[in-house]
Amino acid sequence: MNTSAVDLATTFGPVGLSTPFIAASGCFAYGEQFAAFTDLSLLGGISTKGISPLPRYGNPVPRICETASGMLNSIGLENVGLEVFLSEKLPFLREQGLSVWVNFFGTDFETYIECARGLNRGQGIDVLEMNISCPNIKKGGIEFGTVPEVAHRLTKACVEVSEIPIVVKLSPNAGDIVGMAQAVKEAGAMGVSLINTITGMAIDVHTQMPRIATTYGGLSGPAIKPIALRMVHQVARALPGFPICGMGGISNGEDALEFLLAGAHCLQVGTACFAEPGAIVRITDELRNLLHRVGFSTPSEAVGKLKTRPQEPAWSA
Amino acid sequence: MAYEAGVSATAFTAHVERNRPLGAGYFVLEFAATCETGVADVVPGQFAMVRGDWGRDLLNPRAFSVFEAADSRHFSILGKVFGRGTKRLAAAVPGEKMTILAPLGVGFRPARAGVTQLLVAGGVGLPPLHLQAKRNAAAVGPNAVEVFYGGRTRDDLLLLEDFEAWGVKTHLATEDGSLGTRGYVTKPLVSRVREAAQRGESVELLACGPTGMLQAVRKLGLDHGVPTQLCLEEHMACGFGVCLGCAVPVYGEKPYRYCCSDGPVFDAQEVRWS
Repeated sequence: MNTSAVDLATTFGPVGLSTPFIAASGCFAYGEQFAAFTDLSLLGGISTKGISPLPRYGNPVPRICETASGMLNSIGLENVGLEVFLSEKLPFLREQGLSVWVNFFGTDFETYIECARGLNRGQGIDVLEMNISCPNIKKGGIEFGTVPEVAHRLTKACVEVSEIPIVVKLSPNAGDIVGMAQAVKEAGAMGVSLINTITGMAIDVHTQMPRIATTYGGLSGPAIKPIALRMVHQVARALPGFPICGMGGISNGEDALEFLLAGAHCLQVGTACFAEPGAIVRITDELRNLLHRVGFSTPSEAVGKLKTRPQEPAWSA
Repeated sequence: MAYEAGVSATAFTAHVERNRPLGAGYFVLEFAATCETGVADVVPGQFAMVRGDWGRDLLNPRAFSVFEAADSRHFSILGKVFGRGTKRLAAAVPGEKMTILAPLGVGFRPARAGVTQLLVAGGVGLPPLHLQAKRNAAAVGPNAVEVFYGGRTRDDLLLLEDFEAWGVKTHLATEDGSLGTRGYVTKPLVSRVREAAQRGESVELLACGPTGMLQAVRKLGLDHGVPTQLCLEEHMACGFGVCLGCAVPVYGEKPYRYCCSDGPVFDAQEVRWS
């Protein structure tokens, strides 16, 4: 099949991407391990493990368990911390010829701002992806991701100290996803990433205990794709033109195109990378072929091109 | 360098050559890889992530110690049906395609001259110790290793004929007394460790099996000052140090290390178990 007519290069706000695919935060560490299994230059970008001002050692075990078409995790935002990231991890990432997205978080306003400011010292970062939605943080964090007014203030405070564009990663656990997107947009966010994991749990009936140590964890994988698509679609419809990075269970080219049609401008692939280190490269090829087959010559041509179904007349009894 | 383990690992496709049921839910899957791989250089304790053509459910591969590795294209795993993943693998048929990542992790340290290795296996913890016994018996001599092997019943004690063929001494234990000593495998092990101490014989312990057994072996090793290596098991999504799901509590600078990339073999002194 001649698919050379399809050009996968695209843009996300001011950021140029060689493909629409970014490796999702928490599923690609800092990229090093994948270099043994896959050609990193074939990725559009990498979003790092979430960085906090100080290192975090994570939660007790068990931290993960598999569920129907998905998995629960409660890693506990383990990361090397801002300084080690800047000195030991960032140099590797910036040499890979891809877009560098640094996911970050704090535990309160001050630490969020400190982290955003600190990351601005780093060279070669294209996007700061602000995580306001991780379910695995105990202290107060839940409001950042669920109350639009709080998210607005937090985003504004971080945007003010950052030269690097800030993309806010939204929580599907928010009641009003459109209200949240609107709030961070007005606060100066360049775009939004959606969705993060959905809070869930699993129980071992033999031990009658939760399957993960923290009882609740974040559900990811194909199981959450319909919810993610719905949220991308709602935000895209409400805020036309506002950059959306869509994610949630993407595991093949069709999934990717569904997200583009729903209104995502670029995409992240996470859980699929665990089982298959080369997943993104495969999905990229699949999307290229699929775009050609259905008649798009670039990914951006497909963005938001969802058609409405013809309506049946409404019958009343 | 944070990431050294698994650098010899590659991702490859393999076909099931043979599925050998061993009874009581145990099975050996023999694979033929479609390309050259690093499995021939496997160190006992190193593992493979194995996934069939499972679509979107089951999502993640399953981790298995490499059981045997004949050459760079042929290796096998030994498993037991526990959950959905092992159930599917136990039903695999010849020709079935699997995706594999191997060899991963850090295996047992090499044997030291003049030190007898006491290999302690519980149930499905047999594979890495079976491989270790075979290697050491061939390289150093059958007296360099002794195997302590425990299970619930006689059906759990597999491949005893192999140890016999290699001339390796076995100490067997079953909980129901149907074969060997009645009770846990730690019973004959304790006697042997005491005997070694009395004779001034240098021994070390290498163990793989259920957590309860590993805790007992760890305590025994620490109490008697016997070097002890434990091959651990944790749920893993990736197997190569990315998901951070398989944390192992350790003493030291950081509270956790990772079963997949720092282990699965850990020094008993390092493991932080109460």
